[in-house]
Amino acid sequence: MAEFPPPVRRISSEQAPNVVDPATRQEIPEPIARALAPSYGPERLRIDEVSIHYAGSARPAVNRVTLPVRQGEVLALIGPSGCGKTTLLRSLNRLVELTPGATRDGRILLDGDDIDQLEITRLRRRVSMIFQQPNPFPMSIFDNVAYAIREQAMRRPGKAVLQPRVEKALRRAGLWDEVADDLGRPALRLSGGQQQRLCIARALAVEPDVLLMDEPCSALDPISTGVVEELIHELRQNLAIVIVTHNLAQARRVGDHVAFMYLGDLVEYAPTEELFTNPRADRTRDYVQGAFG
Amino acid sequence: MLRSLFRPLTDRRAERMLGATAVSVVLVIVAMIVFIAIEAWPSFQHNGLSWFGSGKDVDAELGAMVNAGADPSGDAYQLRAWPLLYATALTTVLAVGLGVFIAVLASIFIVELAPPRVRSIVVPVVRLLAAVPSVVYGLIGILVLVPFVNDHLINEGQRESVSYVITLNGPGLLVSVVLLTLMITPIMISIVVDALTAVPRGWREGALALGVTRWRAVMSVSVRAIRPAIVAAAVLASARALGEAIMLSMVSGSKGFSPQPWDGLIFLFEPLRPLAATIAEQSEGIAAPALKSSIYAMALVLLVSSLFLSIGGSLIKRRLRLGTAR
Repeated sequence: MAEFPPPVRRISSEQAPNVVDPATRQEIPEPIARALAPSYGPERLRIDEVSIHYAGSARPAVNRVTLPVRQGEVLALIGPSGCGKTTLLRSLNRLVELTPGATRDGRILLDGDDIDQLEITRLRRRVSMIFQQPNPFPMSIFDNVAYAIREQAMRRPGKAVLQPRVEKALRRAGLWDEVADDLGRPALRLSGGQQQRLCIARALAVEPDVLLMDEPCSALDPISTGVVEELIHELRQNLAIVIVTHNLAQARRVGDHVAFMYLGDLVEYAPTEELFTNPRADRTRDYVQGAFG
Repeated sequence: MLRSLFRPLTDRRAERMLGATAVSVVLVIVAMIVFIAIEAWPSFQHNGLSWFGSGKDVDAELGAMVNAGADPSGDAYQLRAWPLLYATALTTVLAVGLGVFIAVLASIFIVELAPPRVRSIVVPVVRLLAAVPSVVYGLIGILVLVPFVNDHLINEGQRESVSYVITLNGPGLLVSVVLLTLMITPIMISIVVDALTAVPRGWREGALALGVTRWRAVMSVSVRAIRPAIVAAAVLASARALGEAIMLSMVSGSKGFSPQPWDGLIFLFEPLRPLAATIAEQSEGIAAPALKSSIYAMALVLLVSSLFLSIGGSLIKRRLRLGTAR
């Protein structure tokens, strides 16, 4: 880690994200170069013409999607159920490969390197994921956060090594003050919102570059949701975050850019305010105005 | 009168009926323990704690009890049951240890690695194996394993080196443990497979998403989470192994002898006879009061140890569960 953030390699097929109306299959003429302007950090992750097929279904779940993810921004993926947003998200750390019969075309580049060339464990440490349902392991709070550190170490690290890193991760996840008095407590006794923040701390403990969040608040109450959204705001300073949500208000609150997907196609990608106030595609307008969902 | 039997039960009556059934089960168990304890008392009375110790040849002692006839003197009750206890513990511990190891690995393969087609065949076959009557295993042991061990594994030197104490001719510790493991592993696999299948997918995916290999994800999260089920499986298997009589009496060599680990390889071929097999074999001599009391004493020891086993098991399970707050 000589230079941070690492330099971005130019990609041969540098091209604008496709903006296609899925109904007519015509490209929407206006280029979205504005959205591509590096208003945030350098590009960390590039989704390049990615298609994902599931065996036994004629339609691709994700159809030739191209998107950039930049350092320091939150990219929100929105769209109705079954539009492929979660599938796309899960392909970013190759978790989609766990689904039997799923195949992916196209490239995904992490800091310019094809993720298929990276060792899968290394990739998943750099591109970590938070799930819809909080999934703390059935062990103590401390062991949960220390889990990935322990697993990636050659020799079992001692408490002295772990303690500061666990504390740092818990502080970043905004959970430290609530659990500091008893880190030995079983994680499953925490409330739902605390469990989700524990999962975030667990992911942060190995200091990932990109954080993927799959509807992280859909199982949480409004107050916990607010806390987690606040957290996302703070975290993006040092990370690139991709969040899938079917909650439009949430996408508007936390997203810097929003990508609207429909039936596997990327319909529109734009800065958040622009997409919500002045969408270019009719379908986007209908969706954000609540005409369908 | 008869018609009232066919009327739908009111909740109150149903509750009473179920309650009565449950209570009577407990009563039967308590009555059984009391009865066996009373019958066993003379044996413990004459031997004291040395009942559990080692001493003379157990088989000779048991023979003497039969010969002592209907009105035995106090001496006839003499019994040093250590070789039988030791044989029971040895076969059970070895078979359960081996079985847990195999069951966990096999279950991981079935649940995590095997393609669905393979799984849909293997799981029912395993369940079927769990239902094979133990005497069938015994038969296979006598007809296949014992001759094989006798012909191919034991050499003349080994036979001669212990010929002044025991004969090595096939049946013994090795065959007993192998068959016992074969007998108890399927039920453990069933239990562990069910538990592994029930592990929330989110835990495994969560581990994988943290950059952990599949193998480590399974071992550090899934297997850790199902430790209570593994304990339950081990307890159930131990109970079966403790009580296995017929099969072990067929293949154990049926000799009141304690196999000695420091005998080296011969240890595996040395004959033995666990408590349950002893009870099964000696029960024809039950007319002799001394033998009868001794057999009941053995039964009591078996009963109490399986009782402790299941109590201990549930204590361990509770501790493991407390760690997960579930």
